[in-house]
Amino acid sequence: MRITAEKKRQTRQRIMDVAHNLFVDKGFEKTTTRDIVAAAGIAAGTLFNYFPTKEALAMTLLAEALDRTEAEFGGRLQGDEDLAEALFAHVAAGLRGLAPHRRYVGEVLETAMSPFGSNAVCEAAERVRLDHLEVVRQLLVSRCPEVSTGPSFIAIHLYWTLYLGVLAFWAKDESPNREDTLSVLDHSMRIFAESLTTHSPGQEEVIDEAENR
Amino acid sequence: MKPRIAELIAALPEDLDRMEGVSVDETWHRLMDDLAWRPAPTGRLRRFWALGTLQAKIAAAYLAYWLRAGYADADEKRRRLNETHLKAALKLLGGMGYLRGAVMKMGQILANYPDVVPEQFADMLGRLHFEAPPMHFSLLRESFRNELGKDPEEVFDDFETKAFAAASLGQVHRARLKGSGQRVAIKVQYPGIARTIHDDFRNMKAAAFPMRLGGDWDNLKLQFDDIRRMLDLETDYEQEAENQRIARLAFREGDGVVVPRVYPEYSTRRVLTMEYLDGTHLGAFMASRPSQELRDRHGTQITLTSFRLWYQAKMVYADPHPGNYLFMPDGRLGLIDFGCCHHFTDQDWDFVCEVDRVANTSEEGLRRVLIRAADMTPKQQTETQRMKLMREWCDWVWEPLFHEGPFDFSDSDYFHRGVALYGELVRRRYTRSLPVNIWLSKAFFGIRAMLAHLAARVDMGAQWEQERATH
Repeated sequence: MRITAEKKRQTRQRIMDVAHNLFVDKGFEKTTTRDIVAAAGIAAGTLFNYFPTKEALAMTLLAEALDRTEAEFGGRLQGDEDLAEALFAHVAAGLRGLAPHRRYVGEVLETAMSPFGSNAVCEAAERVRLDHLEVVRQLLVSRCPEVSTGPSFIAIHLYWTLYLGVLAFWAKDESPNREDTLSVLDHSMRIFAESLTTHSPGQEEVIDEAENR
Repeated sequence: MKPRIAELIAALPEDLDRMEGVSVDETWHRLMDDLAWRPAPTGRLRRFWALGTLQAKIAAAYLAYWLRAGYADADEKRRRLNETHLKAALKLLGGMGYLRGAVMKMGQILANYPDVVPEQFADMLGRLHFEAPPMHFSLLRESFRNELGKDPEEVFDDFETKAFAAASLGQVHRARLKGSGQRVAIKVQYPGIARTIHDDFRNMKAAAFPMRLGGDWDNLKLQFDDIRRMLDLETDYEQEAENQRIARLAFREGDGVVVPRVYPEYSTRRVLTMEYLDGTHLGAFMASRPSQELRDRHGTQITLTSFRLWYQAKMVYADPHPGNYLFMPDGRLGLIDFGCCHHFTDQDWDFVCEVDRVANTSEEGLRRVLIRAADMTPKQQTETQRMKLMREWCDWVWEPLFHEGPFDFSDSDYFHRGVALYGELVRRRYTRSLPVNIWLSKAFFGIRAMLAHLAARVDMGAQWEQERATH
């Protein structure tokens, strides 16, 4: 019997829905692939036809949530924001999209996006990283003449570290309406933007050297 | 004794000179250059941090001055120990967190004391009351949405993305209500500022605790806690809305005083929406060279707000600084910020009534009130100098009340005497007091500073009698 594309889409969606609910209820670590298979009413092998690992499944959930916010973010920019504000707006839109997943986002990112881990834990995680950084690159080029040729790997690494730090803070933020995250995010993006425009003596040489390696 | 800012800053502990890698002298000259050539540094962030640093320096200088005076006679070992703690406390103050919440408020308080701080500083600090600080619109929108569940543009028409004023630990935007088109002012608080203030105070207290200067530490601690509560209250816009609602009820059509209406449906702990009032602040008002008559009228309105709230609403309007008054084109006075109000407890009210009863009538009663006001220990009650200075302080506060006819607040001698007297009380560490006096002192000084700025002539005594009699 042939499985239609629509049927495949429905199965994939069902897996994602039940996985999301289980992650929210039990947490990412405590949810097993067996739990997901049982809740989705599918065979064990079927799950892996769609998602090679639990991490890939969870990251896909997060990636799709972020995709949905990307269009909204673009529509919100007025064009006159400075770099720090534009970066803030980008990350804030993402956090809004990730809000339904906050219960387990920390556990997932710890596994799939740890700064100490491989860049390619799963395809979905790498795609999230690259998509996010592409938006950052565009914002940098459009709003920061100092980096008109594109940001250096140092700048990107600095940004990504700050971004993961903000996500980690947000995932555990217990302040009312998570207002502390807004202040941490605002500060982080200001620090980053200022680091690009404040040149210490010899900084250009270091960056040039690093880029030429 | 009247310390100047330059002297105060020069008196800072030595290694503070190198705080932020710049000497105090250099900082001082830079600040002066900045003031001379560029009234407000351009760029929202730079302006804010420049002011933040300036305020932190001034606040630190005052703290140093105050604390040093207390152990001038101590032995060398104790002096060194205190100096170490002092340095730690001042560094902490200078490096306070996000938006330097508490320091910003201290700067605002200092700005109200002309002649204590040089005029240029007072002007510049005063500007903080209503100039836009750096919360960009994207941050504001997220904060607003967190509070009300929608973006500001969805809730209001014509929401202005640029703030038109800074307010109590937040900023204010103009918009219109959907449907009615009513112009409103929406105050949005900086995210996390309440926590920052709390943390700043906890750190300050921890740093100050080992000092425990003199026997009045317990009393000082109480006052310190009250200042913290004062700032905590300012972060609760729901409480502010309630204060404003109560205050609005206290004024009638003919009073010439307007308290803007609050819209509770668009207000939360961090967002406060109220009717927008058209008017100018003190600086712009004075720049228009108003007549003596107009200044007197506004001075009378300012005094009325204080007495009316006191006797009718049983509330101290404890933050009467220039940013909280609007001089409206039709001659009315707008009162626009109720973050710093104290509601009298039964005990406070009993104290206030006792003071009213004995004022200028009974020496023995006055002595009893002074002992109560300063929460004096039996030993302190026998100190002649303490009683004398406290008495002089009361006389200074009461002087305009018992003056025959309008009192001329343009007389700078009056204000100078008050500042010198207060400085002397602090220098001698006669700071023991009922907590309510922190609110009262702030109100007394604030009102008199406003009237001095206005150079107004006000029959304060007649107003006092009238409001006391009515309520």
